[in-house]
Amino acid sequence: MTRRHTPEETKEAMHVIVGEMYDRIVKGEPPTMTLPVRTKNNIGFDKKLGVYKYGKKQSIRDATSLGSAKQLLRALHVVEFIEEMLVAGKSSTLREMYYISEAWGLGKFGSQNESNNLAEDLEIVTKCLREDFKLRPEEDGARMIGNLTLRERNRRGEWMRINARDDVGDSGYGVPYNVESEKIELLEHDIDFIMAIETGGMFDRLIENGFDEEYRCGLLHLKGQPARSTRRIMKRMSEEWDLPVVVFLDGDPWSFRIFASIAYGAIKTAHISEYLATPTATYLGITADDIVAYDLPNDDLSKKDIEALKAELSDPRFADGWWQEQINMMLELGKKAEQQSLAKYGLDFVTETYLPEKLAELGLA
Amino acid sequence: MTGIAEKLASNQKQVAISEFFEKNKHFLGFDSLARSLITAVKEAVDNALDACEEARILPTIKVAIEKVDAKKDIIKLIVEDNGPGIPQKSIEKVFGQLLFGSRFHAIRQSRGQQGIGITGVVMYCQLTTGRTTHVRSKIASEPTAAVVDIGLDTRKNKATKSNQGREIWYNPDGSSKDHGTEVTAQMKAKYQKGRQSVWQYLRMTSIVNPHAEITFTDPDGEMHHWPRVTERLPTKVEAIKPHPHGIELGQLQRMASESTDSRMTVFLRMNFSGVSARASKELCVAAEIDEKTKPTKMNPDQIRALLESFQGERLINGKPVKLLNPPTNCLSPIEELLIKKGLSKTIDSRFIATLTRAPEVTQGNPYQVEVGLIFGGNMPADKPVEILRFANRVPLMYQQGGCLLTKAIESVDWRQYGLDQPGAKGVPKGPAAILVHLASTNVQFTSEAKEALADNGEVIEEARKAMLEMGRGLRKHLEKKKKMAKTKEKFELINDILPAIAKKSADILGKPVPDLAQSITKIMSAVISETETVWNKETKQTDVSITLFNYTTRVRAYTILATWPEKAGAAMVNNDTGGRKEATGVWAWKLDSLQPGEKTVLSYSLGGLEKGDWTETDIFFRGSQDVIGASKMDEKFLEEIRRQERALSEMNEPEQERDEPEAEEPIGEPSVAAPTGQTTLFGGEA
Repeated sequence: MTRRHTPEETKEAMHVIVGEMYDRIVKGEPPTMTLPVRTKNNIGFDKKLGVYKYGKKQSIRDATSLGSAKQLLRALHVVEFIEEMLVAGKSSTLREMYYISEAWGLGKFGSQNESNNLAEDLEIVTKCLREDFKLRPEEDGARMIGNLTLRERNRRGEWMRINARDDVGDSGYGVPYNVESEKIELLEHDIDFIMAIETGGMFDRLIENGFDEEYRCGLLHLKGQPARSTRRIMKRMSEEWDLPVVVFLDGDPWSFRIFASIAYGAIKTAHISEYLATPTATYLGITADDIVAYDLPNDDLSKKDIEALKAELSDPRFADGWWQEQINMMLELGKKAEQQSLAKYGLDFVTETYLPEKLAELGLA
Repeated sequence: MTGIAEKLASNQKQVAISEFFEKNKHFLGFDSLARSLITAVKEAVDNALDACEEARILPTIKVAIEKVDAKKDIIKLIVEDNGPGIPQKSIEKVFGQLLFGSRFHAIRQSRGQQGIGITGVVMYCQLTTGRTTHVRSKIASEPTAAVVDIGLDTRKNKATKSNQGREIWYNPDGSSKDHGTEVTAQMKAKYQKGRQSVWQYLRMTSIVNPHAEITFTDPDGEMHHWPRVTERLPTKVEAIKPHPHGIELGQLQRMASESTDSRMTVFLRMNFSGVSARASKELCVAAEIDEKTKPTKMNPDQIRALLESFQGERLINGKPVKLLNPPTNCLSPIEELLIKKGLSKTIDSRFIATLTRAPEVTQGNPYQVEVGLIFGGNMPADKPVEILRFANRVPLMYQQGGCLLTKAIESVDWRQYGLDQPGAKGVPKGPAAILVHLASTNVQFTSEAKEALADNGEVIEEARKAMLEMGRGLRKHLEKKKKMAKTKEKFELINDILPAIAKKSADILGKPVPDLAQSITKIMSAVISETETVWNKETKQTDVSITLFNYTTRVRAYTILATWPEKAGAAMVNNDTGGRKEATGVWAWKLDSLQPGEKTVLSYSLGGLEKGDWTETDIFFRGSQDVIGASKMDEKFLEEIRRQERALSEMNEPEQERDEPEAEEPIGEPSVAAPTGQTTLFGGEA
């Protein structure tokens, strides 16, 4: 299990990487950095943790090409920068680090994507979290509504008790980027399950229709591919409160991937899957059979959609029979449908008919 | 009292000539107001260039255009040159007589004329504005310049002179002008900008006349300047006698009738090129003419028979009479290096390839194709490339689509050379300009407008071959650029990044900075060459250095070859590393032991060049292991160079009659006036 590290531990872990480069040069070899392969071909199910993790395949980034050599140099600059922050007791956003790299000369980043990826690389190799590195994400946390109570430490360091139904407006409780115990404590709840929703439009529809109260659930807006903090707080609620999580998404190949990253672990963050993934989460819809069963308005699959579905067929996370069936069915139909296509039968159809029927299948309604 | 009839007759004649002009203005170059101005500039500038060339003077030409009356489209054109000047008594002939000038009388490469030359301009001015043309000309031997206003007496087809006088010709700086001619003409015309404009004409002229300095002041007062980029005048061309393969019946008839030779064999040998003593006899046999026949005595059937044996239609021993090729010293190509200079002064670019093919012969006429390709820079990437067509150094600006030179460009699949060309058809697209120049003693146009070259399978194939070779050059350049970028990356890696990694990792760990030599060898694991070609301001030489780094663990041996502009007259100096000549323009060094981890530098300088003449040296290698930054020697490339060498030396061998001493009859001076080609009034060489 990934755990937090003290500054000393973090520094030591980083020095292992630096040492690898240094020792190679001393031996008269090109310096290297060894990383697990970060593709779907190198993720496997970890039975003990119940999530997908990187496998044994390693890739060696060595300084024989200019691109890789620059990556190594950047990694060294990042290590140095993190050490400075650890000493000074500061933190920075990934974006700030990207701009700070302007001063790194040959080691500067070409794009923000590069700096984000490198931060992940360091997490993977050191087994530290980016929180240990004092690096913060830019990403937007989710919104939550429902009868659940937590406390959050505000900027003045005081704990604030917040009920996500009574103490918030229509936009709900905004999940901060840090949802670890030093920042957020989960206090109590009076709900039966948590429902994660892909689109803001559907989230607001359920709130307007009072679905959270009628069906005793917490609603969570994912905002597309969910941020780390969103996945982390889902994981904590599911574990600490022992609540079921159901996921309500569009019916397309990309939604399948969102679900996989929630339930099984994302490929990009497979090194911390056990920390972010909620293995008990269930895919509620829209399923491929829903498109047929509810005769939903739909769109033809694009070329990219079809490629994505085909890639999913060989993704170990979708290896089980139900997923293979769903993916193949969608390929056969050649169609996809949005959550909000349910409005074909009126604004209340989703809360009065669709969701109750789907939840009943799971024994939640 | 003058008779009414006479008056009528003269009126009629006047009408006839202006009517002729009116009717034929499309091929005289005066069919639109815009084109008339270009034609006028063209005639004046061509005259200036020709005069300077003949007098071996480096031309400095100033063209100015002023709007006199914008509403009525009246324009004033002033063209001034620094040519030898025209003696006073000749001025009216040059400007006032149709078809005056030496170029009609010999077979050689000449700029030729658009329609009727400068006289046409004088006539056009008179017809459209009623005004005479002012001429000022000074020859070096006289202290003052002659001035005169020239008009045209259309009745007598003769110049009229007025306001004749002499004056001191002052330059703008107050000094007096030594020699030159200035023409001031007023005409109805329109000044336009763009692809078909005076500006474009002068720009193109400047490209193919790199020895000329041209200044143009446009109607807005803006100055355009194309500097002289070489002091070398075009080679003086020799006039040659016509070749039997290129002759037509009318010309043969005239030559025969004007001949004073006593017998056929002498007539044939002395008035035609490529006819040996044996061939002169064989031609007579094939034509069934007694070789003792006096040429003037030939009957029409015999003349026709002679023409047939010229053209190989009458055989001897079952074969056409073997004729030698005409000499090619009558051609004056611009030459690769000068085209390069001409192009690079006019267009900004990253890459220039130019190529002058060896002279060839088609239908008895020597010709030579030259091409240039300029790529990159600020040229638009999504438009068709600019095509710059020239015939005997004269820009062709109209009828691009119908021209042989355009067709040759279109016949190439440019996609394989890095240009865009949808469907491999038509003019390619890309940031490039393609120049094609045909030098020939007999340029065949599609029409009298002389703007497009007529189809000729041999010429098109020759131009196409030149284009392919140049295309290969472009492809090689683009490949080389890629390779160089890769090499540069490797050097950045070992010179900058790796030391930074070593230092930073040592700093973080608090350890000493490790030595990198071993890691570098492991990373590169190759032999790398780096070539520099730079202009040395102080020595006025081009310094070339080729550095070879052996980043492998073994001793390596190679032969390294470098290209250099030998054909352009460069001299290799300070070549301390020796080597040997591999072929024309290719030098070779044998390197037996490149030690691991060490570098070897080959350096030399090139003299006899000017700045910008030579900016890129191609490096090749022979050896088993690849050299990054160099190409493996393509032996076919060497073979092609040697083939061209052979072709050139054969071409330049003088026409010899080795086998047959001919003693029957002493041969005197040629006794026929060289054919004039002046058969039609406005047609130029027929």
